[in-house]
Amino acid sequence: MAHSKVPERTSGDTKVYSYLAEYPTPQALIEACKAVRDAGYKKWDAYSPFPVHGIDPAMGIRPTILPWIVLGAGLTGMLLGLVMQIGLNAFDYPWIISGKPLWSVPAFVPVAFETTILLSALTTFGGCLVLNNLPDLYHPLFKKKRFAKATDDKFFISIESDDKLFDEQKTKSLLERTHPTALETVEDDRKVNSALPRPIVYGLLIATFLSFVPMARIAQARYTKTTDPRFNLVSNMDYQEKYKSQRGTSFFADKRTMRPPIPGTVAQDTLALDDRYSRGVEPGTNDKFISDFPPQFSVNAGAMQRGRERFEIYCAPCHGLAGYGDGMVARRAEELAEGTWVAPTSLHEPRLANEPLGYFYNVISNGVRNMPGYASQVTEEDRWLIVLYLRALQRSQAGSVDDVPADQRGALR
Amino acid sequence: MNGPTLVELPKDNYSFGAAGKRLTTIGAVVGVLALSGAAAMGAAADDHLGRFLHAYLLAFYYVLTVALGCLFFVGIQYLFRAGWSVTVRRLAELGAGTLPALAILALPIIVATAMGNHTLYTWTDHEVVKQSHLLEHKAPYLNLNFFLVRCVAYFGIWALLSWFFLSRSTKQDASGDPKLTRSMEIVSGPATILFALTLTFASIDLIMSLAPTWFSTMIGVYFFAGAATSSLSFLILFAMALQKSGRMVNVLNTEHYHDLGKLLFGFTFFWSYVCFSQFMLIWYANIPEETEFYLHRFQGPWLAFSWFLLLGHWAFPMAGLLSRHVKRNRKALAFFAVWLLVMHYVDIAWYVLPTVGGHDAHGIPFGPMEVLCWVGMIGVFLAVVGFLGSRRSLVPLKDPRVTEALQFENI
Amino acid sequence: MSAVSHAELMRDNTIDDPTQRAPLVTNDSSFGDVTQAVAGVAEAKPPIGWLICFGVASVGAVMLVSCIGWLVWMGVGVWGNMTPVAWAWDITNFVFWVGIGHAGTLISAVLFLMRQKWRMSINRFAEAMTIFAVICAAIFPGVHVGRAWLAYWLFPIPNQMQMWPQFRSPLLWDVFAVGTYATTSILFWYFGMIPDLATLRDRAKSTIAKIGYGIFSLGWTGSARHWHRYERAYLLLAGLATPLVLSVHSVVSFDFAVSQLPGWHTTIFPPYFVAGAIFSGFAMVMNLAIPARAIFKLEHLITMRHLENMNKVILATGMMVGYAYGMEFFTAWYSGNPQEVFAFKNRAFGPYWWAYWTMVSCNVISPQFFWFKKLRTSIPVMFVLCIFVNIGMWFERFVITVTSLHRDSLPSSWAYYQPTHIDIMMLVGSFGLFFTLFFLFLKYLPIIAMAEMKTVMPQAHAHGDHHGPATKHAHTAGAH
Repeated sequence: MAHSKVPERTSGDTKVYSYLAEYPTPQALIEACKAVRDAGYKKWDAYSPFPVHGIDPAMGIRPTILPWIVLGAGLTGMLLGLVMQIGLNAFDYPWIISGKPLWSVPAFVPVAFETTILLSALTTFGGCLVLNNLPDLYHPLFKKKRFAKATDDKFFISIESDDKLFDEQKTKSLLERTHPTALETVEDDRKVNSALPRPIVYGLLIATFLSFVPMARIAQARYTKTTDPRFNLVSNMDYQEKYKSQRGTSFFADKRTMRPPIPGTVAQDTLALDDRYSRGVEPGTNDKFISDFPPQFSVNAGAMQRGRERFEIYCAPCHGLAGYGDGMVARRAEELAEGTWVAPTSLHEPRLANEPLGYFYNVISNGVRNMPGYASQVTEEDRWLIVLYLRALQRSQAGSVDDVPADQRGALR
Repeated sequence: MNGPTLVELPKDNYSFGAAGKRLTTIGAVVGVLALSGAAAMGAAADDHLGRFLHAYLLAFYYVLTVALGCLFFVGIQYLFRAGWSVTVRRLAELGAGTLPALAILALPIIVATAMGNHTLYTWTDHEVVKQSHLLEHKAPYLNLNFFLVRCVAYFGIWALLSWFFLSRSTKQDASGDPKLTRSMEIVSGPATILFALTLTFASIDLIMSLAPTWFSTMIGVYFFAGAATSSLSFLILFAMALQKSGRMVNVLNTEHYHDLGKLLFGFTFFWSYVCFSQFMLIWYANIPEETEFYLHRFQGPWLAFSWFLLLGHWAFPMAGLLSRHVKRNRKALAFFAVWLLVMHYVDIAWYVLPTVGGHDAHGIPFGPMEVLCWVGMIGVFLAVVGFLGSRRSLVPLKDPRVTEALQFENI
Repeated sequence: MSAVSHAELMRDNTIDDPTQRAPLVTNDSSFGDVTQAVAGVAEAKPPIGWLICFGVASVGAVMLVSCIGWLVWMGVGVWGNMTPVAWAWDITNFVFWVGIGHAGTLISAVLFLMRQKWRMSINRFAEAMTIFAVICAAIFPGVHVGRAWLAYWLFPIPNQMQMWPQFRSPLLWDVFAVGTYATTSILFWYFGMIPDLATLRDRAKSTIAKIGYGIFSLGWTGSARHWHRYERAYLLLAGLATPLVLSVHSVVSFDFAVSQLPGWHTTIFPPYFVAGAIFSGFAMVMNLAIPARAIFKLEHLITMRHLENMNKVILATGMMVGYAYGMEFFTAWYSGNPQEVFAFKNRAFGPYWWAYWTMVSCNVISPQFFWFKKLRTSIPVMFVLCIFVNIGMWFERFVITVTSLHRDSLPSSWAYYQPTHIDIMMLVGSFGLFFTLFFLFLKYLPIIAMAEMKTVMPQAHAHGDHHGPATKHAHTAGAH
C-alpha cells in the first residue's frame, strides 16, 4: 500500500479516509471542535483518552436515546418476571407452600425486581455497544502510530472524507487554523482488510453445522423408544444395597424380601377385644352398628363436659360449634371459592338423626368421604365422649316446647 | 476544584424581610385559630378527646418528621463535606430551627397523657396493664414516668442540635470563618448518631406504642425514610417559592433542583424498600402478634387506604421521578414534591388513625377536625420558619464551599 | 484566606480545610504518568512478592477444589452439619462472601452517583473484588444442595418432570438475586474497563497481548460520540446497580427473616444485612488496597485520604450494624415473646457466647478507634482493624445461623455444632481461590481506572462554554 502525504481520491485500494489532527490538551481539543462544528461538518469525530467535560456542546452531540431503550427493557423485564412466576406457580404447577395463596404477589416481588434489573443492565451494556457500532476490531485510524496516544495522553480530531463538505484544501486549512501539533492523512484500506481469512470462515461454518448435532440428537431421543437401561451418569440413589418390598431374595426360605408378621401379632394399640367398644359394631359383624353406648361407657355430666371439649377441638373447626357445617375452616374455604372444597356435612341433617351411635363412632375412627379418620389423634374413650356430645347437640337443635320442664316454660318468650 | 479565595456571591436578594414577617403573622393566626377550632370540636365530642388527640398527634408527628428530616439534611451535608448543597442548606437549617417550637407543640399530647388521658396510649392505664401479661412485661419501658423523661430527652437533643447548626451557620455569614465549618463537620458525626437513636425511640414511643402489643425492629428506619422524603419535598417547594418571589434567583438553578430531585427519588425508593421489607417479612411469617397490625389495616375501608398509600407513595412518584427531564422541570418537580408531602401525611395517618377508639371506629376517622389540626400545625411550622428566616440571610453568605454550589453540573 | 498551603496539602492530603478540596493525585502527575503508573503494572515482570503471594493463594484454591471434589463424591455428610444445625458454615461462608462482594458495586455505583470522586482510584479493585467474592459465594449454596449435578433444578428450565421451581421460596429469590448481581457486576466491571483495555492494547508489545487486549477492548477508539453514550450507559448501570446492591443482601436476609425462627425473624434484617455487607466489603477493600499500593508503588494515586475516607465509611457502617444489634436485642425483649428473649440471651450467654462476643468486639468496638484521626491514618492500625472487621463479620453470620438453630423448639434435639476438617479447609480454600483470582487481576488487568482517573486531574478541566470563573483555577492542583 502506498502511503502518500498528499491525499488522492482514486478508485484504487488507497483512498483517503480522513484528516487527523492532534492536540496536546483537552482545552485545545474543545476549541478545535467548536471550529469544526461551526464549519458545518457532520461526519467527523474527536478522540480522547477520557471523556472530556464540555465536549458534547462543543461538538453538537445530541443526547442519546439509550435511557429510553433501557426503560423499555426494564418494564419488559418486570413484566416477564411476573408473568413467569404467576404462570409457572399459579397455573402450570400450582403447588402451595407454607399456606401462601397461588397468587403470592409479595413473594413474587423480589424475582420480578431482579429480572427488571437484569434485563435493563444487559440492555444498557448491549445497547451502548450496538449504538456505538462496537465491537469493531478494525478501524482505519488504528493504522496510525500516532493514534495509539489517543488512549494515553493526546487528543485528536478526524474529519472523514465521506462528509459532504469535505474538500482537501478547505478541510486541511480549517484544521490548520485550529493549531494542531500534528496533521496527517489517514488512508482507507477497509476494503482490503475487512474480509475474514478463509480458514476462519470454513472453521466457523463447520462449527455452526456441528452445533446442531447435539440438539438434533436430543430431539431424536424424545421421539424414539428404547429398551436399554437408563444411562446413569451419576447413580444418585438409584441402586442401593438394600432389600426392597415386593422383591425376591435367596436368603429366606420363601424367597420373599417382605417378612410376614409372626402369627398372632397385633400392632400396638389395635387390640380390639370388644367389637362394641373398639369398633362400634355388633360382635363379629362389620356394618351392623350398635345403637346404644357400649356397656363400659357411662354417661354423666363430666363425660358430657369432656365430650364437648373434644368436639370443639377436633370437630368444630369444620363442622362448627353448633354442628351446622359452618366452622372456621369451612367458612374460609368458601370465601376462597377455589372450587375444590367439599362442604362439611351439617350434623343436623334428618338423615343423621336416625343413624345409630356406632355409625358416628365409625366415622370418627375411619373417616367418610373427604373427612379423614381421627383414630390416631382421639382415643377410643374420647371418641365415645364425642358421640355423646354430638347426640346432645343434635337433640338441642331439634327440641320443642315440650322439652322444657313445665315449671320453667314461663321463662320462654 | 475551587481556589482558596472566598468568592463573592452574585448580587441578589437574600433577605426574607417583610415577607417573612408576614408569613409569621399569617401562619401564627391560622395555626392558633385552626388548632383551637380543632380542640373545641374535640372537646365537644364525647370520647375523652380520643379522636382529637389522634388527629393532633398525626399532624404534630407530620411536621416533626419534616423538621427532623431537615436536621438530618443539614447534618449529613457537613458529614459529607458537601459543596453542591450550600445554597439550599440555610432553608433546611430554618426547617430544623422549628424544633424548639415543636417541643412546645408536643405539650398537649404529653400533658394530656400525663394527666391520665389514656385514649392515645392505653399502656398508661394501670387497669389495662394489669389485665395484659404482655403490657406488664413491657412496663419497665412503657410507663408514664420513663416516657416523660424520654420525651424531655428527645426534644432537648433536637433543640440543641438544630440551634447549634443554625447559630453557627448564621455566625459565619458575618465572619466567614472556616473554623466554624470545621466545628460543625466535627459535631455532625455524633449528631447523626444522636439523630438516629432519638428518631428511632421517638417513633417507638409516639407511634408504635399506639398499638402497644405490636412491634417491628424496622420502625425507626421507616420513619427516617418518611422524614427524608417529606423534608426534601419541603426544601424543594420552599426554594421554589422564594425564587418565585424574586429571592435567591442567581444562586439556585436547575442543577440544584435536579440533585434534590435525585435525592427525593432515592428516598422514595428507600421508603418503598423499607415499607415492603417490613410488610413482606410479617406477611410471610404470619405470626399473630405481628399480623394483627396489618389485619386492622386490611379490613373495610382501610384496605383501599392501604392500596392508596402503596401506589401513591411508591408506584406513582417512583415512575414520575425516574426521568431526569421531570427532575429538571420545575413545575413537574413541584407537583411531585406536593404529592409526596400529602402522601407523607397519608403514611402517618395509616399508622395513627386505625387505632382511634381502640380499632372500633367505623370508617376512616378523617374529617374537618383532622384537616384543621393539619392546617394549623403547618401554619405554626411556617410561622416559625418565617420568624427565623426574617432574622438572617436565606443563603449562607460566606460559607467556604459556596463557590462549588454555584459551579457544579450534573452529568 | 487559606489556612493550609497547597504544598502542605500535597504532602498530607488528609488535612481538613473547608476552603479547598484536597488533591486526589498527590504528585502533580501528567496524563502520561498515570498511564505509565497503571499500565506499567500489567506490563512489567511480576515482582517477587506477587509470585510468592500468587503461589500461596493458588495452593489454597487447589485445596478448595479438592474439598469440593471430595464433598460431591461423599455427600454433605463430610461437613459438620447435623440436626438441628442443618445450615452451618456453608451458609455462613456464602453470606460472608456475598457481603464482601457488596462494597465493589457500592463504591462504583453509589459513590459515583454521589459524585464522590475519590472512588476512582479504588473502584476497579473493589469491582474485581466483588466478582471474585461472588464466585466464592456462589460455590457454597451450589455444593450444599447435596447432589450438585442437579443444581440446574434451581432454574426454570422446562423438563420432563413437568415441574417448576417454587418462586415463593426465598432460596429461589437468592438464585435470581445472586445471579443478577453476578451478571450486572461483571458487566459493570468489564464495561468500565473497556477504555483501559484499549490503552493496554495500544501499548502492547507482544502479539499475544495485542490480540488479547485487542479482542476485549472491542475496538475502542476513544471517540467523543462513543464516550457520550458510554458515560450515559455507565450512569445507567450505576443507577441500576444501586438498588441492586440493596436488593441482593436484602434477599439474602429474607432467607432467614421470612421464617419464624427466633433470632431470624425480625423486620430490620434487610437494611441491617446491607449495612453489614458494606461494612465487611470496605474492610476487605482496605485489606487488598493497602498491600497493593505498597507493592506496585501507587501511593500517589491511592492516597492516605482515600484510605481515611474508607475508614470513615467503615466507622459509619459499623455504627449501623451496632444499631441493628441493639434494636434486635431491645425488640426481642419488647416483643415479650419468651422464645425470642431466650434466643437472644442464649446468643450472648449460651454455649456460643464466645462467638457472640467476638462478633460484638470486632464489629462494634474495633471500628470505634476510627474516631481518632491518628488511628485512621495509620496504615498498620487500619490494616489490623480491617482484619478484625472481617473476622467479626464472618462471626456475625455464624452467630445468626448456628446459635439460632442449635437450640431447637424441642429440647431433646439441642446440640452443639462443631465444624469438620473439610469445613475448615473449604473456608481457607475459598480465601485461596479469592486471592488467586485477585492476584491474576492485579497482574494482567488495569488495576486503576486510568481513563476516569484522568478526568479528576486538574489538567482535564477544559471548561469552555458556560462557566467562566472555573477556568482561572484550571492550574491549581485540586479536584472536586
